[in-house]
Amino acid sequence: MIRSIAPGLIAVVWAGQALAGAPGGSLGQLIAEGEQRWTRSPDPRNPVACATCHHDPDETRGWAASFPKYRPLPPPEGRVMTLLQANAEAVRRHYGLADAERAALAITAYLTWRGAGVPVSPGIVSGQPVFDGRLRALAESVGRGEWLYARRCQSCHDPGAVAPAALRFPRAANGQVESLEGFLGRHRPDLPSPGRDGQPTADVIAFLMSRLAGRPVGGAP
Amino acid sequence: MTRTVLSISLALWLMALMLPPGADAVTAITGMMRSQSGQPLPGLVLLEKGEIHNNRWDRGALVDASGRFRIELAEGGQYGLHAYSSGYIYKPNAVRVETGATLEVEVVLVPEPTRANDPVIKRVEFVPSETRKGKATIIKLEVSDPNGDLGPQVLAFNAAAGRAFAMAPPRWVWSLKSNYPDGVYQLEVDVSNAPTEPRDWHFVVADHKCNTTDILSFPHEPKPPQVIRP
Repeated sequence: MIRSIAPGLIAVVWAGQALAGAPGGSLGQLIAEGEQRWTRSPDPRNPVACATCHHDPDETRGWAASFPKYRPLPPPEGRVMTLLQANAEAVRRHYGLADAERAALAITAYLTWRGAGVPVSPGIVSGQPVFDGRLRALAESVGRGEWLYARRCQSCHDPGAVAPAALRFPRAANGQVESLEGFLGRHRPDLPSPGRDGQPTADVIAFLMSRLAGRPVGGAP
Repeated sequence: MTRTVLSISLALWLMALMLPPGADAVTAITGMMRSQSGQPLPGLVLLEKGEIHNNRWDRGALVDASGRFRIELAEGGQYGLHAYSSGYIYKPNAVRVETGATLEVEVVLVPEPTRANDPVIKRVEFVPSETRKGKATIIKLEVSDPNGDLGPQVLAFNAAAGRAFAMAPPRWVWSLKSNYPDGVYQLEVDVSNAPTEPRDWHFVVADHKCNTTDILSFPHEPKPPQVIRP
Protein backbone atom coordinates (compact mmCIF):
# COMPACT_ATOMS: atom_id res chain seq x y z
CA MET A 1 0.00 0.00 0.00
CA ILE A 2 2.71 2.42 1.04
CA ARG A 3 4.68 1.39 -2.04
CA SER A 4 1.73 2.39 -4.21
CA ILE A 5 1.10 5.72 -2.57
CA ALA A 6 4.68 6.86 -2.13
CA PRO A 7 5.48 7.54 -5.79
CA GLY A 8 2.31 9.54 -6.15
CA LEU A 9 2.99 11.70 -3.10
CA ILE A 10 6.61 12.26 -3.99
CA ALA A 11 5.65 13.01 -7.56
CA VAL A 12 3.25 15.71 -6.41
CA VAL A 13 6.11 17.43 -4.63
CA TRP A 14 8.43 16.93 -7.60
CA ALA A 15 5.80 18.11 -10.02
CA GLY A 16 5.12 21.14 -7.90
CA GLN A 17 8.77 22.07 -8.18
CA ALA A 18 9.27 21.23 -11.81
CA LEU A 19 5.90 22.10 -13.27
CA ALA A 20 4.79 25.41 -11.91
CA GLY A 21 1.07 25.86 -12.38
CA ALA A 22 0.39 22.31 -13.58
CA PRO A 23 -2.08 20.07 -11.77
CA GLY A 24 0.55 17.94 -10.05
CA GLY A 25 -1.96 15.32 -8.90
CA SER A 26 -2.53 14.05 -12.39
CA LEU A 27 1.18 13.69 -12.99
CA GLY A 28 1.42 11.92 -9.66
CA GLN A 29 -1.30 9.53 -10.78
CA LEU A 30 0.57 8.94 -14.01
CA ILE A 31 3.75 8.12 -12.10
CA ALA A 32 1.85 5.77 -9.82
CA GLU A 33 0.29 4.13 -12.87
CA GLY A 34 3.76 3.88 -14.35
CA GLU A 35 5.05 2.08 -11.29
CA GLN A 36 2.17 -0.35 -11.53
CA ARG A 37 2.86 -0.96 -15.23
CA TRP A 38 6.55 -1.37 -14.48
CA THR A 39 6.07 -3.93 -11.72
CA ARG A 40 2.98 -5.84 -12.87
CA SER A 41 2.12 -7.35 -16.21
CA PRO A 42 -1.42 -6.61 -17.42
CA ASP A 43 -1.60 -10.13 -18.81
CA PRO A 44 -2.23 -12.73 -16.08
CA ARG A 45 -1.19 -15.48 -18.51
CA ASN A 46 2.22 -13.87 -18.95
CA PRO A 47 3.24 -12.39 -15.60
CA VAL A 48 6.67 -11.20 -16.74
CA ALA A 49 6.76 -7.44 -16.09
CA CYS A 50 9.44 -4.84 -16.85
CA ALA A 51 10.73 -5.14 -13.29
CA THR A 52 11.04 -8.92 -13.57
CA CYS A 53 14.15 -8.56 -15.72
CA HIS A 54 15.10 -4.95 -14.93
CA HIS A 55 15.02 -5.50 -11.19
CA ASP A 56 18.15 -3.58 -10.26
CA PRO A 57 17.14 -0.02 -9.26
CA ASP A 58 20.70 1.20 -9.75
CA GLU A 59 20.62 -0.05 -13.34
CA THR A 60 17.38 1.69 -14.25
CA ARG A 61 17.83 4.96 -12.36
CA GLY A 62 20.11 6.32 -15.07
CA TRP A 63 17.86 5.40 -17.99
CA ALA A 64 15.88 8.65 -18.25
CA ALA A 65 19.08 10.69 -18.31
CA SER A 66 20.58 8.54 -21.06
CA PHE A 67 17.85 9.07 -23.67
CA PRO A 68 17.58 9.70 -26.56
CA LYS A 69 19.98 6.93 -27.44
CA TYR A 70 20.50 4.14 -29.92
CA ARG A 71 18.26 1.17 -29.15
CA PRO A 72 19.86 -2.01 -30.49
CA LEU A 73 16.78 -3.72 -31.88
CA PRO A 74 17.20 -6.46 -34.46
CA PRO A 75 18.36 -4.89 -37.73
CA PRO A 76 17.07 -2.88 -39.49
CA GLU A 77 14.89 -1.75 -36.57
CA GLY A 78 17.71 -0.41 -34.39
CA ARG A 79 17.65 3.38 -34.23
CA VAL A 80 17.91 6.37 -31.94
CA MET A 81 14.79 6.55 -29.79
CA THR A 82 13.42 8.66 -27.00
CA LEU A 83 12.63 6.97 -23.71
CA LEU A 84 8.91 7.10 -24.55
CA GLN A 85 9.49 5.49 -27.95
CA ALA A 86 11.66 2.77 -26.43
CA ASN A 87 9.04 2.11 -23.77
CA ALA A 88 6.27 1.99 -26.37
CA GLU A 89 8.22 -0.59 -28.37
CA ALA A 90 8.83 -2.70 -25.27
CA VAL A 91 5.23 -2.41 -24.05
CA ARG A 92 3.86 -3.43 -27.45
CA ARG A 93 6.21 -6.42 -27.59
CA HIS A 94 6.00 -7.66 -24.02
CA TYR A 95 2.56 -6.59 -22.83
CA GLY A 96 0.66 -6.75 -26.10
CA LEU A 97 -1.53 -3.80 -25.07
CA ALA A 98 -3.94 -2.25 -27.54
CA ASP A 99 -3.10 1.20 -26.11
CA ALA A 100 0.66 1.03 -25.77
CA GLU A 101 0.98 4.81 -25.73
CA ARG A 102 -0.71 5.38 -22.39
CA ALA A 103 1.28 2.62 -20.68
CA ALA A 104 4.50 3.83 -22.28
CA LEU A 105 3.82 7.40 -21.13
CA ALA A 106 3.12 6.20 -17.60
CA ILE A 107 6.30 4.13 -17.49
CA THR A 108 8.25 7.06 -18.93
CA ALA A 109 6.89 9.33 -16.19
CA TYR A 110 7.79 6.72 -13.56
CA LEU A 111 11.34 6.24 -14.85
CA THR A 112 11.82 10.00 -15.20
CA TRP A 113 10.67 10.43 -11.61
CA ARG A 114 13.02 7.62 -10.56
CA GLY A 115 15.90 9.31 -12.40
CA ALA A 116 15.26 12.82 -11.08
CA GLY A 117 18.52 14.55 -10.35
CA VAL A 118 20.71 12.30 -12.50
CA PRO A 119 22.74 14.47 -14.91
CA VAL A 120 21.53 14.32 -18.51
CA SER A 121 23.97 12.21 -20.56
CA PRO A 122 22.41 11.18 -23.89
CA GLY A 123 23.71 7.82 -25.09
CA ILE A 124 25.59 7.03 -21.91
CA VAL A 125 24.48 5.09 -18.85
CA SER A 126 26.80 5.24 -15.88
CA GLY A 127 28.56 1.92 -15.36
CA GLN A 128 27.62 0.60 -18.80
CA PRO A 129 30.03 0.23 -21.73
CA VAL A 130 29.98 2.90 -24.42
CA PHE A 131 29.87 1.80 -28.05
CA ASP A 132 31.27 4.01 -30.80
CA GLY A 133 28.67 2.93 -33.35
CA ARG A 134 25.81 3.88 -31.05
CA LEU A 135 27.35 7.28 -30.29
CA ARG A 136 27.84 7.87 -34.02
CA ALA A 137 24.18 7.07 -34.62
CA LEU A 138 23.23 9.50 -31.86
CA ALA A 139 25.49 12.23 -33.29
CA GLU A 140 23.83 11.76 -36.68
CA SER A 141 20.43 12.00 -35.02
CA VAL A 142 21.46 15.23 -33.29
CA GLY A 143 22.60 16.60 -36.67
CA ARG A 144 19.28 15.74 -38.30
CA GLY A 145 17.44 17.21 -35.33
CA GLU A 146 19.36 20.49 -35.62
CA TRP A 147 18.44 20.68 -39.30
CA LEU A 148 14.77 19.99 -38.53
CA TYR A 149 14.75 22.44 -35.66
CA ALA A 150 16.19 25.18 -37.87
CA ARG A 151 13.40 24.66 -40.38
CA ARG A 152 10.42 24.07 -38.12
CA CYS A 153 11.09 25.80 -34.84
CA GLN A 154 13.90 28.32 -34.86
CA SER A 155 11.96 31.20 -36.41
CA CYS A 156 10.03 31.48 -33.14
CA HIS A 157 12.16 29.64 -30.55
CA ASP A 158 15.84 30.09 -29.87
CA PRO A 159 17.10 26.56 -29.12
CA GLY A 160 19.17 27.73 -26.17
CA ALA A 161 16.11 29.22 -24.55
CA VAL A 162 13.67 26.43 -25.36
CA ALA A 163 15.83 23.33 -24.80
CA PRO A 164 15.54 23.37 -20.97
CA ALA A 165 11.76 23.08 -21.29
CA ALA A 166 12.33 19.55 -22.60
CA LEU A 167 13.19 18.57 -19.03
CA ARG A 168 9.65 19.44 -17.92
CA PHE A 169 8.15 16.44 -19.73
CA PRO A 170 6.16 14.32 -19.22
CA ARG A 171 4.03 17.10 -17.85
CA ALA A 172 0.48 17.77 -16.79
CA ALA A 173 -1.34 20.73 -18.27
CA ASN A 174 -5.03 21.59 -18.29
CA GLY A 175 -5.78 18.34 -16.54
CA GLN A 176 -4.05 16.31 -19.25
CA VAL A 177 -0.75 14.51 -19.09
CA GLU A 178 1.47 14.96 -22.08
CA SER A 179 4.73 13.73 -23.47
CA LEU A 180 7.28 15.92 -25.22
CA GLU A 181 6.72 13.76 -28.29
CA GLY A 182 3.00 14.49 -28.17
CA PHE A 183 3.58 18.19 -27.66
CA LEU A 184 5.91 18.40 -30.65
CA GLY A 185 3.40 16.50 -32.74
CA ARG A 186 0.60 18.98 -32.18
CA HIS A 187 2.55 22.22 -31.74
CA ARG A 188 2.60 23.12 -35.42
CA PRO A 189 -0.75 22.03 -36.84
CA ASP A 190 0.12 23.87 -40.05
CA LEU A 191 2.94 21.39 -40.72
CA PRO A 192 2.83 17.60 -41.13
CA SER A 193 3.28 15.96 -37.73
CA PRO A 194 6.67 14.29 -37.29
CA GLY A 195 4.85 11.44 -35.51
CA ARG A 196 5.24 10.60 -31.85
CA ASP A 197 6.91 7.36 -32.71
CA GLY A 198 8.89 8.73 -35.62
CA GLN A 199 12.56 9.27 -36.18
CA PRO A 200 12.17 13.04 -36.82
CA THR A 201 10.70 13.46 -33.34
CA ALA A 202 13.56 11.51 -31.78
CA ASP A 203 16.01 13.62 -33.80
CA VAL A 204 14.61 16.95 -32.63
CA ILE A 205 14.59 15.74 -29.02
CA ALA A 206 18.14 14.40 -29.41
CA PHE A 207 19.18 17.85 -30.61
CA LEU A 208 17.50 19.57 -27.67
CA MET A 209 18.86 17.13 -25.10
CA SER A 210 22.38 17.42 -26.53
CA ARG A 211 22.30 21.02 -25.30
CA LEU A 212 21.38 19.92 -21.79
CA ALA A 213 24.18 17.50 -20.95
CA GLY A 214 25.02 17.69 -17.29
CA ARG A 215 21.73 19.25 -16.19
CA PRO A 216 19.66 17.17 -13.78
CA VAL A 217 16.69 15.18 -15.05
CA GLY A 218 13.45 16.69 -13.81
CA GLY A 219 15.15 19.98 -13.06
CA ALA A 220 13.17 23.16 -13.36
CA PRO A 221 14.22 25.26 -16.36
CA MET B 1 75.25 -18.19 -43.12
CA THR B 2 75.74 -16.31 -39.88
CA ARG B 3 74.78 -13.08 -41.61
CA THR B 4 71.59 -14.69 -42.94
CA VAL B 5 70.58 -15.97 -39.52
CA LEU B 6 71.31 -12.58 -37.98
CA SER B 7 69.30 -10.80 -40.67
CA ILE B 8 66.29 -13.07 -40.19
CA SER B 9 66.51 -12.68 -36.42
CA LEU B 10 66.68 -8.92 -36.76
CA ALA B 11 63.71 -8.88 -39.12
CA LEU B 12 61.63 -11.02 -36.75
CA TRP B 13 62.56 -8.82 -33.82
CA LEU B 14 61.55 -5.70 -35.75
CA MET B 15 58.24 -7.33 -36.73
CA ALA B 16 57.60 -8.20 -33.10
CA LEU B 17 58.21 -4.57 -32.12
CA MET B 18 55.60 -3.45 -34.67
CA LEU B 19 52.87 -5.54 -33.05
CA PRO B 20 50.60 -3.62 -30.66
CA PRO B 21 51.21 -4.23 -26.97
CA GLY B 22 49.26 -7.22 -25.73
CA ALA B 23 48.77 -8.63 -29.23
CA ASP B 24 50.02 -11.99 -28.05
CA ALA B 25 47.73 -11.96 -25.01
CA VAL B 26 44.47 -13.89 -25.00
CA THR B 27 41.24 -12.02 -25.62
CA ALA B 28 38.47 -13.54 -23.53
CA ILE B 29 35.23 -13.09 -21.66
CA THR B 30 34.98 -14.87 -18.34
CA GLY B 31 32.32 -14.65 -15.76
CA MET B 32 29.88 -15.96 -13.27
CA MET B 33 26.22 -16.79 -13.74
CA ARG B 34 23.97 -16.89 -10.71
CA SER B 35 20.42 -16.43 -9.50
CA GLN B 36 19.22 -13.36 -7.61
CA SER B 37 19.78 -15.25 -4.37
CA GLY B 38 23.39 -15.82 -5.34
CA GLN B 39 23.10 -19.49 -6.26
CA PRO B 40 25.54 -20.42 -9.08
CA LEU B 41 23.72 -21.51 -12.22
CA PRO B 42 24.93 -23.90 -14.91
CA GLY B 43 23.94 -23.30 -18.51
CA LEU B 44 25.13 -21.69 -21.71
CA VAL B 45 26.54 -18.35 -22.78
CA LEU B 46 26.44 -17.52 -26.47
CA LEU B 47 27.86 -14.52 -28.29
CA GLU B 48 26.71 -12.45 -31.21
CA LYS B 49 29.60 -10.67 -32.86
CA GLY B 50 28.95 -6.95 -33.25
CA GLU B 51 25.81 -5.16 -32.11
CA ILE B 52 23.54 -7.19 -29.89
CA HIS B 53 20.45 -8.76 -31.51
CA ASN B 54 22.10 -8.80 -34.96
CA ASN B 55 21.71 -12.62 -35.04
CA ARG B 56 25.34 -13.14 -36.13
CA TRP B 57 26.24 -15.88 -33.71
CA ASP B 58 29.88 -16.54 -33.04
CA ARG B 59 31.48 -18.17 -30.02
CA GLY B 60 29.98 -19.68 -26.88
CA ALA B 61 30.68 -21.78 -23.83
CA LEU B 62 29.06 -24.10 -21.37
CA VAL B 63 28.64 -22.69 -17.89
CA ASP B 64 29.77 -25.19 -15.29
CA ALA B 65 28.00 -26.19 -12.07
CA SER B 66 29.86 -23.50 -10.15
CA GLY B 67 28.44 -20.88 -12.50
CA ARG B 68 31.79 -20.11 -14.15
CA PHE B 69 32.40 -19.69 -17.87
CA ARG B 70 35.17 -18.61 -20.19
CA ILE B 71 35.04 -17.78 -23.90
CA GLU B 72 38.23 -17.13 -25.82
CA LEU B 73 37.86 -14.78 -28.78
CA ALA B 74 39.75 -14.28 -32.00
CA GLU B 75 39.57 -10.52 -31.53
CA GLY B 76 38.25 -7.81 -29.30
CA GLY B 77 35.28 -5.62 -30.09
CA GLN B 78 31.59 -5.39 -29.44
CA TYR B 79 29.62 -8.54 -28.66
CA GLY B 80 26.12 -9.48 -27.58
CA LEU B 81 26.40 -11.85 -24.65
CA HIS B 82 23.33 -14.05 -24.10
CA ALA B 83 23.10 -16.15 -20.96
CA TYR B 84 20.80 -19.17 -20.57
CA SER B 85 19.98 -21.51 -17.73
CA SER B 86 17.09 -23.96 -17.67
CA GLY B 87 14.06 -22.49 -15.92
CA TYR B 88 15.34 -18.90 -16.14
CA ILE B 89 14.55 -16.00 -18.48
CA TYR B 90 17.52 -15.58 -20.75
CA LYS B 91 19.56 -12.42 -20.32
CA PRO B 92 21.04 -10.37 -23.19
CA ASN B 93 23.89 -8.03 -22.43
CA ALA B 94 25.96 -5.84 -24.78
CA VAL B 95 29.65 -5.98 -23.91
CA ARG B 96 32.90 -4.65 -25.30
CA VAL B 97 36.15 -6.56 -25.02
CA GLU B 98 39.55 -5.03 -25.62
CA THR B 99 41.92 -7.08 -27.75
CA GLY B 100 44.42 -8.87 -25.52
CA ALA B 101 42.31 -8.35 -22.41
CA THR B 102 39.92 -10.50 -20.40
CA LEU B 103 36.53 -9.06 -19.61
CA GLU B 104 34.98 -10.30 -16.38
CA VAL B 105 31.18 -10.19 -16.25
CA GLU B 106 28.56 -11.24 -13.77
CA VAL B 107 25.17 -12.37 -15.00
CA VAL B 108 22.11 -12.57 -12.75
CA LEU B 109 19.15 -14.55 -14.05
CA VAL B 110 15.53 -14.44 -12.96
CA PRO B 111 13.37 -17.58 -12.91
CA GLU B 112 10.47 -17.79 -15.32
CA PRO B 113 7.24 -17.36 -13.32
CA THR B 114 5.45 -19.74 -15.67
CA ARG B 115 6.59 -22.14 -18.36
CA ALA B 116 3.25 -22.04 -20.17
CA ASN B 117 4.50 -19.45 -22.66
CA ASP B 118 7.81 -21.10 -23.42
CA PRO B 119 8.70 -22.38 -26.86
CA VAL B 120 8.86 -26.15 -27.02
CA ILE B 121 11.59 -28.28 -28.59
CA LYS B 122 9.77 -31.40 -29.62
CA ARG B 123 12.47 -33.41 -31.33
CA VAL B 124 16.10 -33.38 -32.47
CA GLU B 125 17.46 -35.41 -35.36
CA PHE B 126 20.88 -35.80 -36.93
CA VAL B 127 20.51 -37.02 -40.51
CA PRO B 128 22.95 -37.35 -43.42
CA SER B 129 22.58 -34.68 -46.07
CA GLU B 130 20.79 -35.90 -49.21
CA THR B 131 22.65 -33.47 -51.45
CA ARG B 132 26.11 -33.65 -49.85
CA LYS B 133 26.32 -37.32 -49.00
CA GLY B 134 29.20 -38.07 -46.65
CA LYS B 135 30.12 -34.40 -46.47
CA ALA B 136 27.35 -32.87 -44.42
CA THR B 137 24.98 -33.75 -41.60
CA ILE B 138 21.66 -31.95 -41.20
CA ILE B 139 20.55 -31.22 -37.67
CA LYS B 140 16.79 -30.91 -37.48
CA LEU B 141 15.04 -29.29 -34.54
CA GLU B 142 11.25 -29.38 -34.37
CA VAL B 143 10.06 -26.30 -32.52
CA SER B 144 6.68 -24.82 -31.64
CA ASP B 145 5.55 -21.84 -29.62
CA PRO B 146 2.23 -21.63 -27.77
CA ASN B 147 1.91 -17.87 -28.44
CA GLY B 148 3.18 -17.84 -32.02
CA ASP B 149 5.89 -15.32 -31.24
CA LEU B 150 9.04 -17.26 -31.86
CA GLY B 151 12.06 -15.14 -32.70
CA PRO B 152 15.32 -15.86 -34.48
CA GLN B 153 16.86 -17.42 -31.38
CA VAL B 154 16.55 -21.05 -32.39
CA LEU B 155 20.11 -21.82 -31.44
CA ALA B 156 22.51 -24.70 -31.63
CA PHE B 157 25.81 -24.76 -29.78
CA ASN B 158 28.71 -27.10 -30.48
CA ALA B 159 30.69 -27.37 -27.27
CA ALA B 160 33.66 -29.11 -28.93
CA ALA B 161 34.12 -26.27 -31.40
CA GLY B 162 32.87 -23.52 -29.07
CA ARG B 163 30.60 -22.28 -31.87
CA ALA B 164 27.02 -21.05 -31.76
CA PHE B 165 24.64 -21.10 -34.71
CA ALA B 166 21.17 -19.76 -35.53
CA MET B 167 19.21 -22.54 -37.18
CA ALA B 168 17.43 -21.88 -40.46
CA PRO B 169 13.63 -21.52 -40.18
CA PRO B 170 11.32 -23.82 -42.15
CA ARG B 171 10.30 -20.94 -44.40
CA TRP B 172 11.51 -17.48 -45.31
CA VAL B 173 10.95 -14.86 -42.62
CA TRP B 174 10.50 -11.18 -43.43
CA SER B 175 12.71 -9.71 -40.70
CA LEU B 176 14.37 -10.56 -37.40
CA LYS B 177 11.45 -8.93 -35.59
CA SER B 178 8.90 -11.08 -37.40
CA ASN B 179 7.23 -13.93 -35.62
CA TYR B 180 9.09 -17.02 -36.72
CA PRO B 181 7.06 -20.09 -37.73
CA ASP B 182 6.63 -23.33 -35.88
CA GLY B 183 8.20 -26.28 -37.66
CA VAL B 184 11.52 -27.96 -38.33
CA TYR B 185 14.58 -25.70 -38.10
CA GLN B 186 17.75 -26.96 -39.75
CA LEU B 187 21.49 -26.56 -39.55
CA GLU B 188 23.90 -28.07 -42.06
CA VAL B 189 27.15 -29.21 -40.47
CA ASP B 190 30.25 -29.89 -42.56
CA VAL B 191 31.52 -33.39 -41.74
CA SER B 192 33.91 -33.78 -44.67
CA ASN B 193 36.91 -33.78 -42.32
CA ALA B 194 35.42 -35.43 -39.25
CA PRO B 195 31.99 -36.63 -38.16
CA THR B 196 30.05 -34.51 -35.74
CA GLU B 197 29.25 -35.96 -32.32
CA PRO B 198 25.63 -35.48 -31.22
CA ARG B 199 26.77 -35.33 -27.60
CA ASP B 200 28.65 -32.09 -28.38
CA TRP B 201 25.45 -30.32 -29.39
CA HIS B 202 23.21 -28.26 -27.10
CA PHE B 203 20.02 -26.43 -28.11
CA VAL B 204 18.04 -23.53 -26.71
CA VAL B 205 15.14 -21.48 -28.07
CA ALA B 206 13.81 -18.09 -26.93
CA ASP B 207 10.82 -16.15 -28.23
CA HIS B 208 10.40 -12.42 -28.77
CA LYS B 209 9.25 -11.99 -25.16
CA CYS B 210 12.34 -13.74 -23.76
CA ASN B 211 10.44 -16.91 -22.79
CA THR B 212 13.11 -19.57 -23.02
CA THR B 213 13.20 -23.34 -23.32
CA ASP B 214 15.30 -25.50 -21.11
CA ILE B 215 18.73 -26.18 -22.57
CA LEU B 216 18.45 -29.47 -24.41
CA SER B 217 21.66 -31.47 -24.18
CA PHE B 218 22.55 -35.01 -25.16
CA PRO B 219 20.69 -37.39 -25.39
CA HIS B 220 18.34 -34.64 -26.60
CA GLU B 221 15.22 -36.04 -25.02
CA PRO B 222 12.90 -33.16 -24.08
CA LYS B 223 11.41 -33.22 -20.59
CA PRO B 224 8.49 -31.20 -19.20
CA PRO B 225 9.80 -27.84 -18.02
CA GLN B 226 9.67 -27.02 -14.32
CA VAL B 227 9.02 -23.69 -12.62
CA ILE B 228 11.87 -22.77 -10.33
CA ARG B 229 10.76 -21.15 -7.11
CA PRO B 230 13.07 -18.31 -6.15
